[in-house]
Formats: sequence, structure tokens, C-alpha cells
Amino acid sequence: MKTNILLAGVGGQGVLTLGLIISRAALEQGENVIMSEIHGLAQRGGSVTVEVRIGNFRAPIIPDGDVDLTIGMEPLETMRSLSRAPTGSRVIMSTEKLAPVSLSIRHEEYPDLRVLTESISDNFHLGTIDAVSVARKSGSFRAANIAILGFAIGTGWLNLSLECTRNQIRTIFSKKSLEINLKALEAGLEMGKSAQQEFVERLA
Amino acid sequence: MRLFMSAYETLLSGKPGDKLFLLGNEAIARGAIEAGVAVATTYPGTPSSEVGDILYEIGAEAGMKFEFSVNEKVAMESAFAASLAGLKSFVFMKHVGLNVASDVLMSISYTGIRGPMVIMSADDPSMFSSQNEQDNRYYAHFAHVPLIEPSNPQEAKDFLKVAFEISKMESLPVIFRTTTRISHMRGTVTLSPVSAPNLKGRFAKGGRSFVSLPSNSYDYKDELIDKMRRIGTHDFQGILNRSEGDRESRIGFISSGEAYNVLRDVLDKHQVNAEVLKLGITNPMPENIAREFLSRHGTIIVVEEVDPIIESDIRAIADVGFPEVTVLGKMDGTVPMSHETSPNTLEEALAGILDFNITDRKPYKQEQELPPRPPVLCAGCPHRATYFAVKRAVKMLKLDDPVYSTDIGCYSLGNYEPFSEADIMLEMGSSIGVGSGFTRATDQRVISFIGDSTFFHAGIPALVNAVNNNSRMLVVIMDNDVTAMTGRQPNPGTPVSQTAGRQKSQSIENIVRSLGVDSLKTVDPYDLKETLGAIMEGLKNEGVSVVIAKRECAILRDNRMRKEGHEVKYHVVPESCSSCFNCVENFACPALSISNGKVTIDPVLCDGCGVCSQPYVCPFKAIEVSNVEN
Repeated sequence: MKTNILLAGVGGQGVLTLGLIISRAALEQGENVIMSEIHGLAQRGGSVTVEVRIGNFRAPIIPDGDVDLTIGMEPLETMRSLSRAPTGSRVIMSTEKLAPVSLSIRHEEYPDLRVLTESISDNFHLGTIDAVSVARKSGSFRAANIAILGFAIGTGWLNLSLECTRNQIRTIFSKKSLEINLKALEAGLEMGKSAQQEFVERLA
Repeated sequence: MRLFMSAYETLLSGKPGDKLFLLGNEAIARGAIEAGVAVATTYPGTPSSEVGDILYEIGAEAGMKFEFSVNEKVAMESAFAASLAGLKSFVFMKHVGLNVASDVLMSISYTGIRGPMVIMSADDPSMFSSQNEQDNRYYAHFAHVPLIEPSNPQEAKDFLKVAFEISKMESLPVIFRTTTRISHMRGTVTLSPVSAPNLKGRFAKGGRSFVSLPSNSYDYKDELIDKMRRIGTHDFQGILNRSEGDRESRIGFISSGEAYNVLRDVLDKHQVNAEVLKLGITNPMPENIAREFLSRHGTIIVVEEVDPIIESDIRAIADVGFPEVTVLGKMDGTVPMSHETSPNTLEEALAGILDFNITDRKPYKQEQELPPRPPVLCAGCPHRATYFAVKRAVKMLKLDDPVYSTDIGCYSLGNYEPFSEADIMLEMGSSIGVGSGFTRATDQRVISFIGDSTFFHAGIPALVNAVNNNSRMLVVIMDNDVTAMTGRQPNPGTPVSQTAGRQKSQSIENIVRSLGVDSLKTVDPYDLKETLGAIMEGLKNEGVSVVIAKRECAILRDNRMRKEGHEVKYHVVPESCSSCFNCVENFACPALSISNGKVTIDPVLCDGCGVCSQPYVCPFKAIEVSNVEN
């Protein structure tokens, strides 16, 4: 399997942890994996992208146009990262908005989410989930990254063994947060499966 | 975060043969442990910082002595001393840190060393978190010391140990050069056995002199050149350098570091089986290997990160011995001179030469303009409150065109809107030196911003100079207890309670007072009224005024409060919000945004600092404490 996965979000949303779990689960499945994490200037609140490359790659940089799957933790950041993905590729997006400061200092509001979503789904295969509210229902908003991971696996677009993914979640979290994260994974997974069902029906 | 802690533990407990998924910097830390490093020193700087974080946490357990030094120069002096006492020493820093330490480097190559010593320079091509993309491989040429370049985490660990061997061979410090992509790339690393460090150092008197007086240095220069010549003839048993692919290919490639990875991916993608010479040691250039390679190919293409350094050597070898060979690279424009090697750019550059077609899927073309999300000060960051207060003070005093001279740290982000309180920023400590310089040239008011760690690093001499020259300036020292931007490492001012193994914490206030500044005040930036008052007073003074805005880093506070089990959040009472937007426009906390014409606070982002609830930010008392939520 040769897969390039681009993860996008805002610093503090757990994008690095998401990349680490995907990479480690793929490794446990016996794949070759490299991952790049770039730490920019901000500790929190800036754009973050993580690149996971599964297969025999040497460079941690995904060439523009070679992204197979984009997973975005935030709509605007998803849209931004799509300038590296080819039209028609697969995109999974969490719909909870985080307004960048650049908007509010100009008294502007966040772009209309419906319009944003439509322009993505016009050009890509898009699956959406409100990962933050799924996570909150599972016990904490902080598990949104794991909810979207479950969703991605559920849709079948992220080809990861559920068992390996659970194992890796267990190595990273403990006690109460482990429980919450496993719950968020299952909830996301179910939603991903029904989204997949819809894709199939739409195509049929 | 537990996540990374557990990874650190495995770096220590991992057994030979174990395969771990490691960050380049984690692999380097493990390499230092496997090598049996006795003394490790650093000043944190991205992309090198994790190495220090790890050794700070687990170094003692590995039997190593680790030091966060006050700056890179002192770090290198410290490591040099350990080497002279016969111990294995390791000093690491970001590329611009080596500028600070270069005064040490230039002479220790002459004096030579005793115990093996490796200097790691983490370069930052494309400037992800740096002021320039200087290629520190020049320092190896400049100082006449060997230079090692790994390409991935496995090599980073293994080559580090070879670097110590080379250092031992000729009693020379060795530069180990990574780049952002190597330091911050994760890959699978197979562990080797660890060696217990020898900690019993002793400086043996007699024998070689380490006093770099001209009479000694004159002779040492000839010795140095001989040492490097000998290393240049060594083949390192194929560990560092290797060639792969078709030896008969018309075109041969020479590459190193991350550039090799990108080259390999492009060649593999297009199934080009050209011979590639991958160099792990690039100073001294292994001339025999290079000559043999040049004899096999009509055209040589050199791909490297960032400047044409290997290329210069190869061109020189070709000029002398292989005039029929064409050498291509950065100098003739085949590969760009600026920024890291991009897979797309390299692919385009090679398509014509290698005669392949790029039939790729094209990336999506964004039609709408997206609002940018530049890096911002965290929610709850005390620096935001300080910048807000300074801007307000300047406005209230009707100061015309003050010059903002800022420095390296999280607070560099004061450059961005709405604060725009940065006119000049160069390097560590420059805020005060440059700021004081302006007072010689203009009567504009000068305001310098500097963080606690940067003040200790290089701010003190500049402040001495400003006082000594009676510069009329305000220095705002933004003290958040830690070296925040690189990941909250301790510095000399960090409270003892927050660090293990330290007995003393140095007071910035005492240091500043002892310098004889004209006015000095320490304030809590969360208290806007007090901060504003102190800054206005400082700006009215004629000489050097210092305001220390002291408040722990918001992330530290956040972690502490979460551990204590209480998270405070604020919210906007919509009925009280007049939509004046003063808060979003002038305070600009990332937790604040406008929705349906009113300001809202995102409870996920809110840090509970409460500064936005003060009347300077919200004159309508519309921001209140919420109940704690999950």
C-alpha cells in the first residue's frame, strides 16, 4: 500500500497525536511509515499540518498533487490544505469552526460553512463529521481527533486495522482519558460506517 | 503530555534490536545514550530542542550530565571543558546558535580536544522557525573540522556514533548537521546497545597546551590541515558513504541529507536507475570516492540542502582531473539556490534532463481567498496583555512614531496585527543593542521587547551598554519563567520549584537593578492598570527605563490548573455586549470571535486568564466567569 495522508488543523487540536496513532497503527500492520511534523512559531493556535506517508518513501514531504487522503480537524484549515491535494481525492473534515484572529480584528465573521462545504464537495469526495460534539458526548471535547480517526476508518477511506488502532490508543492514553478516547473512536466509527452506506447508495 | 513522556522512557529502556518509531531528534538522543556521552550541553532552539528536552528528562538516568546552558557559546565551552577532562561530550543547537558559539569553534579546531566531542547544528532550510536559512556546513569548512550529514532518524542515531569515532581518531570536534526535515521526521529506528558513560574526568596537565596564544596556534594550523587530510583518505568502511543504482548510467547523482531523500523519491517514482553517490561525510570531501564516481559518468548532478557546498568541491575535482565531465547543480541554476529541496521543483528540474513526463494529478486550485491563520500568542498569554498595555500607553502619551525593537521568542508574534509592535528583529539580544543604537540616531522614543531567556542569553551586555551610554529607551522584559517558544525549557530565572536538581534561581530584577538603570518596575501583566501605569512612567523617563512584566507562561499555568483540577473559563453575556468590538480588534485573543454580530468566547480555547474582562478591554462588563466545563 502506498498512501499519502495529509492532516490539517489548528495547534492544540491534537493533530500531531492523530498522526502518531495513524502511523503507529500502520506500522503495527507491517507497513513502512514516515511522518513529518513541523513545529512553527506558535505554541497554539496556528495552522498545523502533519504528513503521514505509508509505503516505500524516503522524504517526509508529500509532493503537491500526490495527497490521497486529507483529514481536516477544522473547515478553514481543511480548505487551505486542499491546495496540495488533487481534485477528486478523498477528504474527511470536522465541521466545528475555529475563527482565526485575522477575521475578528476586521470585525468579519467566519465564511459560510455551507458554502465552504459545497465548494469542497464539488471538487472532492467529502465526508464530514462534527468531531468535537461527538467527542464531547464521549466525555471530552479533547477526544475530537480520535472521533475523526474512527470516522475515517468507518468510511473505509483510511485503511487501518481497528485492532491496531485500538492498541495504539491504549499505548498513548491511560485511565479515564483512555475510556473517553475509545468511546470517541467507536462513536466516530459508527458514523463513518453510515456515511459510507450513504456514499454507496448515492453512487447506486 | 504523557504521550511524549512515554516515548522518552522507551528511549532509555529500549533493548538492542527493538524497533521504535522515532523523531529524528529522539533518535539523536538515543544515539547519544548508545555512544555513552558523559556530558551534554545545549541552548534550546527549533529544530534541535527535543534533544535537550529528552536528555533533560532521562539523561541523568542514563548516567549522563546534562546542562541547559545560558547560551550556545557557554554550552560549547562547557562541552569543550568536559572533553579536555577526557570525557565524551555532545553540544547541540539550532543553526543560528552556532553563530553565537562560533568564537569557540574557530579556536578549538586549532587546540584540538581530548575526549571525543560532537557539535550538532540543526539547520532550518525554508525557515520554518528561523530568521535565515544559513547553511552551517560552511562552518565545518571555515573551522577545518569534519562534517557528518544523516538522512533519516536511523542514520541520525548511527552516524552520531560514527561522528564520535572520527572525533576520537584525530582529536578534533566533529560537526553533525541535521535539517528541520531530519530532526522533525519520524521513522523506524532499530536500537543498538547502550554504553555506560565514563564520568571520571580529570584534566591532565602537561603535554599539549590548550592556550591559544599565537605561538601555539601557528603550529596547530599545520597540524589541523594534516589531520583533515588524513580523514579525507579514510573510507569509513562504507558506513557513511555509499553508491547505489546503475554504474553505467550516463548521469550520476551526488547527494546528502534530506536532499537525498527527495532525489531518491523522484528517481524511484520515474523508475530512473541512475547511479547515486550518497555522502554521509562531506567535509573533508572523500576525494578518492568522488574521483572514482566522476570517472564513470559524463554528467554529474549535485542535489543538496541549501548552498552549493558539495557542488563546489565536485566542480573543483572535475576542473582538475575530469574536464570532460559536466557538473550541474545550484551554481548553473539546474536546482534552485533558495529553500529546501521540493519534490515538485526537483521533479520538474530533472524531467527535461532525464527525459520523463510528469503525468501527475494536479493539485486543486483554490478559487476563493481564505482568511489567513498566522501564528498567534496563545489564549491567556501574558505577552498579549503587555502588548495591549504598551500600545495603549503610546496612544495615551500621544507618542509620535515610537520605534519597536523586538527579539527572539514567542513575543516576536507581537509583530502581527493588531499589535504591530515590531519594527526590527534580528537575533538573540538584538532588541536592546539595536534599540540603544537608535537613540544615537533619532529622537524617536525607543521601546525594546525581550524575553527572560533571551535577556540571560545575550541581553545583559546590551543593557550594560545602554546604561553606560545613557540611552533614552524603555526596555520591557517579558518574563514568563521559561524559554517558552522552544517548548518551555528552564532558564536561569525559572523558579527552583519548577525544575529538578537546581538550587538557585536568578532574579532578573536584581540583575537589572545592579546595572544602575534609571527606573525599574516589576508588574503583573494580567493587571492591566498596573502595567499601563508602569509603562507610561517608563516612557516619560529620560534614561534607561526597565519594566519587567512577570507572569508564568499560559501553557504552564494551564497545565498546573488542570492538574489542580480547576479550569476557569469566561463567557460573553450577550445582553451586555454592545458590539463595540474593542476586545476582538485590540486584544485579539484567539478565543474571541464574532458570531451573529456579537462577540463569543470559545470555551475550548479560553484559558481563563480573565484579562479580557477588565474595563480596558471590555468597558461594558460583558465578560464574566463561567462554570467549569469538561
